[in-house]
Amino acid sequence: MVHAAILLAGVVAVVFAVLMATQKSLYACAVCLLAVLLQTAAIFYFLGAPLVAFLQVMIYAGAVMVLVVVTIMAAPAENARAVNKPSAPWLLAVLGVLAPLGEAAWALSRGEFSQGVGWGASAAQMQVGAVLFGPYAVATEAVGFLIFLSALAVIDLNRSRP
Amino acid sequence: MNQAVWAACFVLFAAGLSLLVFRRELLAMLLGLELMVNAANIGVVYGASLAGDASGLSAALLIIAVAAAEAVIGLSLILRVYQSGRSPESDALKELHG
Amino acid sequence: MTAVLPLSAILLFAAPISAILISFFLVRPFKPRWTHWPILISCGVVAVSAVHIAMRVYSSGPLDVIVAQWMVAGNWSLSFGLRLDGLSSAVLAMVAVVGALIHVYAAGYMEEDECMPRFFLFFHLFYLAMIGLLTSNNYVQLYLFWEMVGMASYFLIGFWYHKATARRAAMQAFLVNRVGDFGFMLAALFLLAAFPQSGTRFATVFPAVGKASPALVCAIGYLLFWAATAKSAQFPLYFWLPDAMEGPTPVSALMHAATMVTAGIFLLARSWPLLAGVPHLPHLIAWIGAATALGAGIVAATKMDLKRILAYSTVSHLGIMALGVGLGEIGAGIFHLITHGFFKAVLFLCAGNIAHGLGKPTASVDEAGGLIKKMPLTFVCFTAAALSLAGIWPFAGFYSKDAVLDAAHAFSPGMGVVASAIGFMSAFYIFRMLFLVFLGPRPRQTGGEHGGHHIHEAGLWMGIPVLLISVGAVCVGWFGAQLQSLLSAGWMAAAAPTVPHMKVLEAWPSLALAFAGAAASYWWTTIKPNWDWDWREKYTAVAAVFASDFGWKPAMAGVARAVVVLSNWLGLSVDKDSWDRLIEASAEGAIEVGGAGAELATGSVNDYVWWMAAGVAVLLLVVIFR
Repeated sequence: MVHAAILLAGVVAVVFAVLMATQKSLYACAVCLLAVLLQTAAIFYFLGAPLVAFLQVMIYAGAVMVLVVVTIMAAPAENARAVNKPSAPWLLAVLGVLAPLGEAAWALSRGEFSQGVGWGASAAQMQVGAVLFGPYAVATEAVGFLIFLSALAVIDLNRSRP
Repeated sequence: MNQAVWAACFVLFAAGLSLLVFRRELLAMLLGLELMVNAANIGVVYGASLAGDASGLSAALLIIAVAAAEAVIGLSLILRVYQSGRSPESDALKELHG
Repeated sequence: MTAVLPLSAILLFAAPISAILISFFLVRPFKPRWTHWPILISCGVVAVSAVHIAMRVYSSGPLDVIVAQWMVAGNWSLSFGLRLDGLSSAVLAMVAVVGALIHVYAAGYMEEDECMPRFFLFFHLFYLAMIGLLTSNNYVQLYLFWEMVGMASYFLIGFWYHKATARRAAMQAFLVNRVGDFGFMLAALFLLAAFPQSGTRFATVFPAVGKASPALVCAIGYLLFWAATAKSAQFPLYFWLPDAMEGPTPVSALMHAATMVTAGIFLLARSWPLLAGVPHLPHLIAWIGAATALGAGIVAATKMDLKRILAYSTVSHLGIMALGVGLGEIGAGIFHLITHGFFKAVLFLCAGNIAHGLGKPTASVDEAGGLIKKMPLTFVCFTAAALSLAGIWPFAGFYSKDAVLDAAHAFSPGMGVVASAIGFMSAFYIFRMLFLVFLGPRPRQTGGEHGGHHIHEAGLWMGIPVLLISVGAVCVGWFGAQLQSLLSAGWMAAAAPTVPHMKVLEAWPSLALAFAGAAASYWWTTIKPNWDWDWREKYTAVAAVFASDFGWKPAMAGVARAVVVLSNWLGLSVDKDSWDRLIEASAEGAIEVGGAGAELATGSVNDYVWWMAAGVAVLLLVVIFR
């Protein structure tokens, strides 16, 4: 049952991601991204890490997407040509982007990625706090500092300049 | 199911990359960036669940935090571009201005 | 070091150097007509010092001293040094004395020339260089002075540089000598390679000749002979010497008769311990010397210009010296070098007196004739020198020249025939000159008149040196035994050089040949007074053959032209078309590559991200397929 849920969430995420890549309108892009983020949260939940899933929804789908939508609203009128012409020929450009995907698919088919069904997340969830403020205390503090700096940066960037 | 999650991870990553390479609007590029980070996050969490490792989950949390901070700064910069009067496209931002 | 050197050796160099510096910096700017006085004083000092050194070496043996280090690199070094042994002191004494007297002569000869100061400075520079050459104790130092002598020769042949012929002659002399000097330079390099720690010093090279690589020693021998061929005017590189008569007479007398051209023979004698062991080389030297002597002797008998006759005579006698050296008779060869220095200088100075009397740079047989009455002193000196040259007893040439020709007879019958012909021809051409100039005047001659000048004896400045040197031309031959014992001091080969003592009664064949030559020339100049002009008009083809040195002069002109064409082709076409184009193509290629690279920097972020993705793909390939 959980397998099916994860599979469904994955499929929906892929569908919306491909949809997003092909949309012309920025709003549509943002909405598709929102859908992907929610599906990702679902995957996290069904893998047995509800904390990460909630945080994903709150921060990502909640705060970040709102800000994105607000910025889109503030954008001036869009012009017709939205697609960039890469300097390499089209075939090569597409190949360059899809090559990592192809290689990953090939590796996957050969079974090079970790196998098994992972239910260890729920047990690990309990330890997250201890890990975050134990061995990874420095990383946690650094990220906190980074968030503080980004807040300062945002304030400064949005000051009106003469 | 294992293949599904990994496949989802890579396809999402490729989609985000194509947004980044093939779209001109800065916002579209930012959205692609977010998608890529998310795809990576799926991979991290899945790997942590396979290994039963709490540090993997902590890493996932930290990645979410960092990605959020980066998105916020990127959006502020795009707002600045709007305010300076130039169009918010990568073509217009090719040369350093004095 | 100076404690070991005797004062006379130091003066040998200090006097000329200080004379040149004083003359150039102190005297010439203020009183140019007095430039020659410090130089003449230095000449006297040097002459006395050279004689003193010869006497010292004769009594107490040789001296080989290193004065200063020149270049040092690890255990390889070159140094300045003096080697005063029998060979160098004998030749040095002749050069110093004859050179000093010719300086005095030049004071009179160049008196009216406005460029006299420059002349004396260059002349004394040459004197200094020749002294340095003779007293060097290693090959590289000898090469240095060899080149210096060649440089002085260039300046002095082209002294009257407003004459195109003089400029051309100077350039020709310098370039032909350069061809030989290249051989010397290669020889010096090979010497450094074959005898690594010696610094090319004679005292260390010659004892070690047997242990060095035979191929290298062979190459060194042939290269040194090539250098001597250019400097001492042997076939094939002799042709610069007749044209070098464009210089003033003192130059011709000192450099191109007595001293500079003998540097090549001196080099051969000096290197004899090395040359003796090279297969076939001594015989080659002997045969080339003999051929040169005979060929030049024949051509000398056909020339009209006085200095040209003497120039070819010099080439011929250098051939005789080379013949002597090649046959192993070093003593006889060096003896002839010394006696030749005296009598040839006298002959040139007499020719210079005649020309000076006519008010011209050089005189021709056409303008002379019957001068016995008008220039008796010159006649006496000329006759003494001519008898010496022809090898008549008891004059100096008899003892030296006939010693060499005698050795030639002993060597092989073929060589003996050539030697007889040489003896005959040398008497013939010098007596021809004597009779044509001093007897007569013949119908085709002007008898000492030219443009209103009546010829007369030159002044004291020019007369006394000629007299003194002719005394030497008569007497020097009597000191053969002393020369032999002098030469043995410091000789580094196995057998000490011997100077064969010629006795009158045993040498009657060569004396007879000389008299026959004199008689033949008397017949064709005096009994048939117009013969010398008639045969030129009757047998024009033969005259052309002699005039072109049996065809060698046009051949050399062709070679020179070919070299010029080749260098033009290399310098203009090859350089411009191939090389320049190659360089420009590489520059253009670099620009194009840079341009192609510049197109990658589009400024668009999308493209940069694409490049990153592509790079990641490549890396993943490596990871997956490892």
